[in-house]
Amino acid sequence: MKLKQGSFLWYLYLDKLYCLLSVRNVKALLEYFHLLDVHHNNTLNDVLFYHFLRHVTSWKRTQIMIVFNMLDWNAMGEIGFDQFYMLVCILLAQQNHLEEQFIFRHSRPVFELLDLDGELRIGADHFHMYNFLFNIKKQELRELYHDFDITGDRRLNYKEFKLFTIFTMDKYQEKQKAEKEQGKTAPLKKKRPHRFILSSKLF
Amino acid sequence: MTRRPSQSPGGAQGPRPQPARLLLPESPRPVAALVVCGPQASLGSHGSDDSSPDNDIRNLWTRATLSQPELNVPRSKICDDSDAEGSSLGSKTRQWYSRKAGRESDGGWEEWEDGEDKDGFRREGLHEHLSLEMELRRGSILGSHLEEDVDSKTESEVSSSESSLSISKHTPHRAYWIEQQNRLPLPLMEVMENEALEILTKALWSYRSGIGRDHFLTKQLQRYIEGLKRRRSKRLHLVTY
Repeated sequence: MKLKQGSFLWYLYLDKLYCLLSVRNVKALLEYFHLLDVHHNNTLNDVLFYHFLRHVTSWKRTQIMIVFNMLDWNAMGEIGFDQFYMLVCILLAQQNHLEEQFIFRHSRPVFELLDLDGELRIGADHFHMYNFLFNIKKQELRELYHDFDITGDRRLNYKEFKLFTIFTMDKYQEKQKAEKEQGKTAPLKKKRPHRFILSSKLF
Repeated sequence: MTRRPSQSPGGAQGPRPQPARLLLPESPRPVAALVVCGPQASLGSHGSDDSSPDNDIRNLWTRATLSQPELNVPRSKICDDSDAEGSSLGSKTRQWYSRKAGRESDGGWEEWEDGEDKDGFRREGLHEHLSLEMELRRGSILGSHLEEDVDSKTESEVSSSESSLSISKHTPHRAYWIEQQNRLPLPLMEVMENEALEILTKALWSYRSGIGRDHFLTKQLQRYIEGLKRRRSKRLHLVTY
């Protein structure tokens, strides 16, 4: 998923460490929400929500409706600003490749979002349905249930889910570290072949 | 789909999501970091044409992002009130640039940066198109995923707008500077309204095909769009004259 460049959301800044918007940004977002709230109910209905997401993201109709149903957990047919804010944070986390960090920082709200039936457990099918939101790959999902389903009921309770988030966060940090180290050594190695290619083109 | 009727939206007792909680991070640090970010404090002394400065969001950001030279005003006010550089903004910024250039030639930047040539890019931008550069840099910061890059830019920004002495005395909160670098676009309300108009126009088509032209919701949406268009044209009219 990519946010539409130049759209309002594209300008918002999600804190990289805490995965939160600043108060100033939230205030602006609220103003934006009120602009879209045509019927003055402090909510967005499914049509407005669909067109909003269609405009700012590259999601398909089915994906948008999955997200809408997830946020509209009490089946009101509308979503309020709280849900809208949550959605925008998820979008910005995805845009900035901070999914792991986001799940780790907000493990409880994410868990509750994924727990559609309110059974305090997430089944693999639910997780799979929302993997486009948090960029969790099939293999990772399989590993997740293999490694963290301690109770063995093929579903994750919050503690198991929390363990998973800690683990993915560790992995993410290690990956970042490795990238940093690679970045320090890589430029010298990379530049040489590039120059060679350029010179070979010239002659 | 099975739903849970017992839970209220955003209720504290239920296990359902409460996105508002995002404002309350798990540790006390983020609160401090995010509260510091607000520009209101710095903008308060800066106002000229506003009747209700902090209530109207349009006033906040349009004044906050006028241009690069003006951006220095709140910074210097916040960090060093004793910095007497002249009364006019123009002279202030000119001195700022000349001081910056002098420091660059002295090699004083090495004190603040890791030896990389980051300011080269900025120097060009500042001399050519200040506001454009600001916009681009904002975009690059938002687009990039390297936190160090942001930090180094903000640090260099701090050092460029302040004397070395004042920085050591009044180093502002890091999050504040990051927030300063990530300002919302200049005509914020215009961006919002234009986008809302596009979205709502598409929604109107859906309304018409879904519930009909004569449905009160369709009519309400149509009136709303017309109102938005009028507002926009009024503003454009004001800008041109």
